[in-house]
Amino acid sequence: MVNLIIDDKQVTAPKDFTIYDAAKLNGIKIPILCHDKKLKPFGACRMCLVEVEQMKGRQIPACTTPITEGMIIRTATPEIVKARELVLELLLLNHPLDCPVCDKAGDCDLQNLTYDYKVDSNRFSDLKFQHEIDYNNPLIERDMNRCVLCGKCVRICDEIVGYGALTFIDRGIETKIGCEFEKNLDCEFCGSCISVCPVGSLLARPFKYKSRFWALTKHKSVCGYCGTGCNLTLGVKDNKVLTTIYDEDQGFHKGQLCVRGRFGYQFINSEKRLTSPLVRKNGRLTESTWDEALKIVADRLNGGAAVAALATPRLTNEEFALFKKLLLENVGTKNFDNAAGYAHSALTEGFARSFGASASSATILDIQKSDLLLVIKTDAYETHPVVGFEINMAVKNKGVKLSILSDKRGKLSKLKGSKTLVHRPGSEVSVLNAIAKAILDEKMVDGTAASVAGYAELEKALSGFTADSVAAQSGLTAADIKTLASEYASAEKALIIFPVGQAYTGHTADLATALANLAILTGKYDKEGCGVLCLSEKNNSQGAVDMGFYAQDGGLNGLQILDACTAGSVKTLFIAGENPLTSYPNRTKVKAALDAVEFLVVSELFLTETAAEADVVFPVCSFAEKEGTFTSTDRRVQYIAPAICKSAQTRTDFELFSDLIIRLGGQALSTSAAQFEEIAAKTSGYQGMSHVSLQKESAFATVTTVPAFAVPQAAPAISAEGGKLTMVTGSALYHSGTLSQYGEGPMHVCPEGYIELSRTDASTYKIVENDLITVTSATGSMQLKAKVTPRMPAGVVFTPYHFSAAPINAIWSGSPVTMVTLAK
Amino acid sequence: MSKVVAQQVEEQEPVVDLVKADQVIDKYFDLPGNLMPVLQGVQDAYGYIPRIVVDHVAERLNVYPSQIYGVLTFYAQFHLKPRGRFIIRVCVGTACHVLGAQRIKETFFNLLHIAHTETSADQRFTFEEVACLGACGMAPLAMVNDDTYGKMTVQKVDEIVAKYSALPLD
Repeated sequence: MVNLIIDDKQVTAPKDFTIYDAAKLNGIKIPILCHDKKLKPFGACRMCLVEVEQMKGRQIPACTTPITEGMIIRTATPEIVKARELVLELLLLNHPLDCPVCDKAGDCDLQNLTYDYKVDSNRFSDLKFQHEIDYNNPLIERDMNRCVLCGKCVRICDEIVGYGALTFIDRGIETKIGCEFEKNLDCEFCGSCISVCPVGSLLARPFKYKSRFWALTKHKSVCGYCGTGCNLTLGVKDNKVLTTIYDEDQGFHKGQLCVRGRFGYQFINSEKRLTSPLVRKNGRLTESTWDEALKIVADRLNGGAAVAALATPRLTNEEFALFKKLLLENVGTKNFDNAAGYAHSALTEGFARSFGASASSATILDIQKSDLLLVIKTDAYETHPVVGFEINMAVKNKGVKLSILSDKRGKLSKLKGSKTLVHRPGSEVSVLNAIAKAILDEKMVDGTAASVAGYAELEKALSGFTADSVAAQSGLTAADIKTLASEYASAEKALIIFPVGQAYTGHTADLATALANLAILTGKYDKEGCGVLCLSEKNNSQGAVDMGFYAQDGGLNGLQILDACTAGSVKTLFIAGENPLTSYPNRTKVKAALDAVEFLVVSELFLTETAAEADVVFPVCSFAEKEGTFTSTDRRVQYIAPAICKSAQTRTDFELFSDLIIRLGGQALSTSAAQFEEIAAKTSGYQGMSHVSLQKESAFATVTTVPAFAVPQAAPAISAEGGKLTMVTGSALYHSGTLSQYGEGPMHVCPEGYIELSRTDASTYKIVENDLITVTSATGSMQLKAKVTPRMPAGVVFTPYHFSAAPINAIWSGSPVTMVTLAK
Repeated sequence: MSKVVAQQVEEQEPVVDLVKADQVIDKYFDLPGNLMPVLQGVQDAYGYIPRIVVDHVAERLNVYPSQIYGVLTFYAQFHLKPRGRFIIRVCVGTACHVLGAQRIKETFFNLLHIAHTETSADQRFTFEEVACLGACGMAPLAMVNDDTYGKMTVQKVDEIVAKYSALPLD
């Protein structure tokens, strides 16, 4: 700690602090424009000038000057105030005073500072800039006439997002911010630049002219897309969510969001939302009342084991618990599952047998505390962009090493110093087994590992996975495998990260086990910066697992339920929020099951193609309209309160399940809070939590690990077939499940399905960008637009799964890799 | 970098042989802080910095294209448009101005019809006004590539243009 005097006040601050940080820590406010706590000091705007007595009263920027022992600082002398006024005068010389039509008004740093310093006249005069405004994308408007050149947008895009879309162009008075060759902005559209812009240069177009900033009410919430559990502040007016508001103090991610979180909120107030229950009459879905719809469904649910249910991992914990109670106690069936029945198996089977707990042993916070990150598939960035930001920052700022084992390259591979091993699709488990064997062979095993159950069996089972034999089948070299093994084993702290999801059929229990084996062999778990972090797909995937809403004790799992529908043993199917027709593998099979089942109930926000097949459709609520808790992928339990009132004819899933329980003669807990009390009492790790405590602060549900070795089954090597390409499926950066199709932001940027292929294959097949390609597999054929990128290895194509208009399950039967042919 | 492909199609940029750029990049690949020497080398190889080469350098050196563009527009030494075989620079600094740089400049314009930073249609000449060439004793001063011409007169302008018009372009 360093002692110093700021404005005649004796204060202390850590020695690596700047004057600005030290002042802020001690409650002294120094004005800033170009400084952001998440970014490196820059010193561009000169608003934070202060005087330091030891520096002979010179004016120095507080945001870039480190403190030293005994510094005497004055932050508001008349000279300083005068200097700041001059800075503002000079900024306002070129800045247009169009505040009445600027959406930033009320939230504008320049406006607020001008007000604070009462700069009501200007001694200078100059022309305003006449830059063309960039209206060329639907999400981010760039008006460089308002720019004060603080460079925050350039820096955040580089330092945190790692995309580098923006730069300073030209020199001197002509300097402006823009993209290379002054082209239109065409980036990831995470909107981080908007969030830090201190003026109205970068604005969210979907929010333009929607509301004055001060007319919005702000509601804290949790993002309803992926499992990262980012916190949101929703800007609400007239019962409509109009925007997301940046709050740099919110969540572990300090307000950073991705395109889905920032621009994907429109589904909440979408006009396509269902507004009343629908009941099939004479073959057509017709509007009905809740009473009628509930009565019909309650009658059908008396079918015991002939009833089955599929739920989306977007329900709250309370809803899962209640739905489970309805099915187990009142209906009498064990046939229920979430996430297609396999997307959670890394947790429910893999981690359960390896760590004795169906949850990750590490948290997102461990990323920055680790020494080495081993990321399985570059898709971790696409599925969980904000986790990707954490990886960017760990690698760039903390010098954390990054090794990637993937079937294609990706944005993470571009990070300086990262190493990407590109293996043949489907061979990841073999490669991981070979790494485990190399660790065993090189005697890099941790002292505690030999006493862990299953050690001998694992050692025996791995004997066949020599680096040489696996190298041949995976397309890597034996040296690659051995180097990765020794780097992982010798790192002080190492964290493994892998994404799971409905499109990642290869990322199941065996992959989780193989990864867990590495962590247990080297003793890298249950410690800070160590462990295995499974990135689960949806916002409450981990909660669904914690609530036990998956096939257990002989119940049918997701895919078995569909088979049972086709076979006729399941006669009533209740689908809460899932859209299997698009998101489950093998569309023909799903369609056959939905056609065959006697009675289909769907609770949904939208009339999805699955809901359109139903006999009864219940209109339910989005995350912004309900109360409850979500558990993020690293088991952070977070409370959400309604940001807007639900519309008259919709109910939450919680109310729906309660109503059904009561109609079936049972008793439901009346409130979400009471339900959570029961959850907290029964669920391991949730003890002591309550809605009241979570409202104040989210909490991690503790994970107690009991390590054990298990033998992961490696998929047999896939031999390349002549003239065929290997297709892998996954998530697109802009989307999450099928819900993001109803968010305007994601749909503006990525409106349709596509097939991504390498430049080599593109030239072989004479395909150029945006060509319509017919993709044929053993199960079907469909047309997709081509996207030619340098990241794909030759012979491998990638396609995302989110789109109802181009459902890839028409050609994808659920195997991790699919052989396809391409034709123009 | 799918945009590389798209841009190529869209803009019909002149076909650029990336092999020359690759040779420059290979030379400096392992040098820390290699962006400046690479860009200078690329400019030497092509005479200017073609857009497609910027994308290529960005991809190979793993820097953002925007970052390269920032560097290119910051330094006056880089040129984003093709330049003539002969760069005529006429000093318009104080000493040269007093001794009639304006006349010299006008004479070049009357002969070649190219103004400041412009290039003749046959890619032979590029004309530039510069603030000072650092040889005020020889004012008024002009340079063609690395050749210096002091004590310039209107007649000398004719001679210079005639001389360089007769030289082969390659």
